[in-house]
Amino acid sequence: MSSNKPCDLVVAVDIGGTFTDIALQDLATGQSWTAKTPSTPRDPSEAFLTGLRLAVEAAQRDAAKIGRVLHGTTVATNMILEGKAAPAALVTTEGFRHVMEIGRQDIPRAANLFAWVKPKRPVPPSRVLEVPGRIAGDGSELQPLDEEAVRRAAARCRTMGVQAVAVCLLHAYANPDHERHVAAILRAELPPEVAVSASTEVLPVIREYERSLAVVLNAQVMPAVSTYVGRIERRLEEAGIAAPLLLMQSNGGVAGARVIRRAPATTALSGPAAGVVGARAEAAAAGIADVITVDIGGTSADISLIKGGRIGLTQHGHVGGWPLPLPMLDMVTIGAGGGSLARVTDGALTVGPQSAGADPGPACYGRGGERPTTTDAHVVLGHLPPRLLGGRMALDAARAEAAVRIHVAEPLGMSLHDAARGMLTILDHAMVGAMRVVSVERGHDPRDFALVAFGGAGPLHGASLADLLGIRTVVVPRHPGVLCAQGLLAADLGTEFTRSLPRGQATAAAIAAAFGELEEQARAWFAEEAVPEAARVLSPVVLMRYAGQGSELPVPWRGAIATAEYDFAAAHRALYGFDLPEGTPELVTLRLEARGRLPAAPPLRLAPGSGAVPVGRHTLHLREGTCDAPLYERATLGAGDAFDGPAIVMQFDATTLVPPGWHARMHGSGVLLLERAG
Amino acid sequence: MERRCDPVSLEVIRGAIRAAQAEMEALIERTAMSAFIREKKDFYTALFDADGVMAVGSNVPVFGDVCGPVFRDFPAETMKPGDVYWYNDCYGSRGAVSHSNDQVLLAPVFHEGRRVALVMAWAHFADIGGLRPGSISPDATEIFHEGVIIPPTRLSDGGVVNEATLKIFFRNSRWPAACQADLRALLASVGLGATRMAEIAARFGTDVLADALRQLLARTEATIRTKLAETFPVGTHRFTDRIDGDGKGSGPLALRFALTRTPNNRFVFDAEATDDQSPGPVNYLMNPDVPGMALGLFLLGGDPTQVTNAGGPRAIDEVKLREGSLLQPRWPAALGMRGLTMMRMLAALNGLVAAAGGPAPAAHAAYVIMLLRGLAGGKPFLMSDGIGVGYGARPFADGTDAVYFVAQENYPVEFLEAEYPARLLRYGVHEDSGGPGRHRGGCGIVRHYEILAEEAVLAVRIDGVQCPPWGVAGGQSGRPGRAVVNPGTPRERVLAPLSDGNRLVRGDILLIETGGGGGHGHPFDRPAQQVLEDVEGGFVSAEAALHDYGVVIRDGVLDEAATAARRQDRPASKAFHRVAYADVLE
Repeated sequence: MSSNKPCDLVVAVDIGGTFTDIALQDLATGQSWTAKTPSTPRDPSEAFLTGLRLAVEAAQRDAAKIGRVLHGTTVATNMILEGKAAPAALVTTEGFRHVMEIGRQDIPRAANLFAWVKPKRPVPPSRVLEVPGRIAGDGSELQPLDEEAVRRAAARCRTMGVQAVAVCLLHAYANPDHERHVAAILRAELPPEVAVSASTEVLPVIREYERSLAVVLNAQVMPAVSTYVGRIERRLEEAGIAAPLLLMQSNGGVAGARVIRRAPATTALSGPAAGVVGARAEAAAAGIADVITVDIGGTSADISLIKGGRIGLTQHGHVGGWPLPLPMLDMVTIGAGGGSLARVTDGALTVGPQSAGADPGPACYGRGGERPTTTDAHVVLGHLPPRLLGGRMALDAARAEAAVRIHVAEPLGMSLHDAARGMLTILDHAMVGAMRVVSVERGHDPRDFALVAFGGAGPLHGASLADLLGIRTVVVPRHPGVLCAQGLLAADLGTEFTRSLPRGQATAAAIAAAFGELEEQARAWFAEEAVPEAARVLSPVVLMRYAGQGSELPVPWRGAIATAEYDFAAAHRALYGFDLPEGTPELVTLRLEARGRLPAAPPLRLAPGSGAVPVGRHTLHLREGTCDAPLYERATLGAGDAFDGPAIVMQFDATTLVPPGWHARMHGSGVLLLERAG
Repeated sequence: MERRCDPVSLEVIRGAIRAAQAEMEALIERTAMSAFIREKKDFYTALFDADGVMAVGSNVPVFGDVCGPVFRDFPAETMKPGDVYWYNDCYGSRGAVSHSNDQVLLAPVFHEGRRVALVMAWAHFADIGGLRPGSISPDATEIFHEGVIIPPTRLSDGGVVNEATLKIFFRNSRWPAACQADLRALLASVGLGATRMAEIAARFGTDVLADALRQLLARTEATIRTKLAETFPVGTHRFTDRIDGDGKGSGPLALRFALTRTPNNRFVFDAEATDDQSPGPVNYLMNPDVPGMALGLFLLGGDPTQVTNAGGPRAIDEVKLREGSLLQPRWPAALGMRGLTMMRMLAALNGLVAAAGGPAPAAHAAYVIMLLRGLAGGKPFLMSDGIGVGYGARPFADGTDAVYFVAQENYPVEFLEAEYPARLLRYGVHEDSGGPGRHRGGCGIVRHYEILAEEAVLAVRIDGVQCPPWGVAGGQSGRPGRAVVNPGTPRERVLAPLSDGNRLVRGDILLIETGGGGGHGHPFDRPAQQVLEDVEGGFVSAEAALHDYGVVIRDGVLDEAATAARRQDRPASKAFHRVAYADVLE
């Protein structure tokens, strides 16, 4: 089943904690329809299907015309974050049972050594089984694998009743033979419902602890992800949709269900990645390729950077406190969002990471919350209209004021409005800190970028964040609160193939040969995902360092070692401020990034407007003073409509604050651009 | 009038400084070349106010007055933008640096012509010359055996780096290339830190920044004073702890501490009764700021709104140390193995808290180091491996198993084997090393090496063999570590725990086991199910479960009836335990 066959319709489904959002798009015209339905946490596929039917009805189209179904899933993420993954075992090399337990033998740099409690490993040492057999660092076999011991380990796994078995053997990145053999025996000996995953199938890189963690987490989420994917596929069948299901991965590319079942850990950042892909598409529609993205939700904010349309990836990511060195979105998450609570201790004001969550939520929701959240601060300052969600939800300004006054203003001896502004300032600076991590720390000047602000609370902060960083343009997407579904529609198929080169063997011939093998693998993957020749894109990258360093920098491979060395020195200077002319550049790992372009709809053009007309007015308490600001309804704005701040723009899923000194303009693509005046 | 820093700006500045620190650390980690820094991560950063008082430190409680030594030779008012100062001089810095391998770089930060702060980057360099590769050796008897000494020096004068000084330094290292890259990394890091701090000063103004740093200090000091008063009743509290010795025949050596709270709430720390300095390199030249820094870190207890800084030392009104003692040795005593004394000092401070009835953790073991140097394929190599130990059990949790120290990581097996002429046969938890207790002391580590080098000389440092880490409140002491060559063969030889010059040849097997931490609470009160999990996980043997915990496990199954019967016969306990129970440790 090809995901590239000519088709009329594509559909994207994003399942959130409260609502499931669906976007249906006509590939010929670019027209799209959205639907929203309450999520069904017990069996998310139920809401998946309900929403899909709603969208199809709204569009009055034939479900059979749907050519691909795109989905961002948080199943794996939530299991890892909540530590609720399936009971699993780990099979490892004899003598190394405690590698997971020891980890990197450190007390974290930010921890207090007397107070720190080591987190429980996803697999306890009692379920780590050792098998004799040894591969050396150069890939040679030192001791043959003891197959009988592997069978005994399989028997132990049966007795323990585990649902998943991970395999991580020493030096498997250099030679995966033993590991493959162990996995094969386990698969033969264990019931088919027990998931088996070998480290080199997930992540063939050096460092046993991190690789063990990656494969354990992968194995643990395999059963649930597999069941989940299976259910959705059945629902699609029931609905008469014979289209392939594509899932978003942490790297910003989608992959077919078969690939995801094998390596579900690659979906750990599926949700945030969909948002970032959406942000890229919205910025691109406005002709902007370099952006910093900020997604502000209720409890956290996710920040990432896109340069020249390329999403920044990292191999040093973390999920739920565990290092997960799979290529993933280079994203910084901070515990600050609309529900973050402010508190005063010893005369010091902090905001977050504790959150009021959805229940009771901010004080202004009137659901029993009494502590002030950032949303309450916005209400106090007049940044939010009296009613949200298209008028369905009233905000209780009196409760918001009481919360801010009692818990912040009075303890600090500040005015109500200064206290509320103080809370937002702290939140903004926390986010600016994270934005500097993805920009300044990576050698980029944030002033060269635009900011895409999304998530329910993003457009309230976009302009103030931009001011702090010297950014002059803010992009507010068409639907800032449901950007993930849009992102799915815009995604391409994507994956990476990597190969480490033994030290001192990075000759031109060896590099060519290794890239040849990676291309072989990429071709097999393209075939599996049914990507036609014309839609295949390959980008070779080499990871380099100075001999002796422990961390590599990616450099595009332009076919010659000398060029790569030159590029590497430049990248080192840009990133760290110096290079080492006396050092020896070393080419450590080759990476082939594969993209399969999916057919896209033509860009939507917004009808020209006839001048922005406010639908009302609202009192804003600005630092400069109190004023009566116009309220605009976004749906009434047409292309070219423009106005100056201060102003507020309302729409169903978000509210945009246009501060004084900022100019707002509807772009022909439907995105709202805020531009710094002067 | 000077502008004050409001609570909002204070929180914002605190966040910005933390971010600058994280960025400085990331830069060192990614660009340094020696494994000591990039894998083991033996480096730190800190920020000081314009007068050199530490305003934001790291969670490592062993820093003293870092800026003072520089100011003595280079008065603060003579500093200018682009300057970088450097030293590793232990005696010249009164122990701000306590062994010569640690290089300290300091850069003043300026805004509108005014000095507003100083930033520090600090890292352990793998080799700076001296008696043996790695520069620290149990055989050293003078500081001169421990590598080149750099007194406070202006390394960069207004942005112009003194390359001649660097040349001399690099020439004194057995591995100049790594030394060079590590120094570049530190230089870039303080440069970056200075840039970031100048940006912060520009954003908020010099006065506001200065006031913010003042407030951070005052807040930490006030919190620690309050907590000290909550922990220590008026009167004198005493605790004595011991290290095994100096490897040269003297030992055990006692650290004797007294903390007095006067009726008018002055706190006086007195370590004058500590034993004399020793000929071996276990002397710990303790900066007078350290006891306050370490007690402060314990008392802050990981509260994320607090920062570790000079507020800790300021909360202690007087520190009494005796020249010629183990904690205040006279020039030129050797200091290279001071790590074990330093770790024991931290445990003894917790002992003061425990003696006063406070919720202190039991003692931890001192991390173990091994240095293997020799020839492989005709080329010299140096493998300095730091091995984790067990930490003390706490009133609220078990002691941490198998950790080294704050921020310092292991060499992954795959990395070690790729880099050095050794193969690991086993890397695991040292069973039964954690002190038994209601909360178990953390277990140490077992590392089993096969030597692949043609020949090599091993230095090893294991403390707590004769005087293991104490247990408290009924908990028992941790069990010691050991180093053995070719265990279980006719060629078996047990190495002196603190020794150098141990010759190894290709094919030799080296087993290093490290010690565990002390337990907390009576072991018979540990839930049997937890003991069973410890047995299943390889932390406690079935025999020790029976003997130490009174828990009967047969063929991996818990026998509850037999356990209940056994636990009827509960051994009596006392306040502390080191090998045997005692009311006071001597």
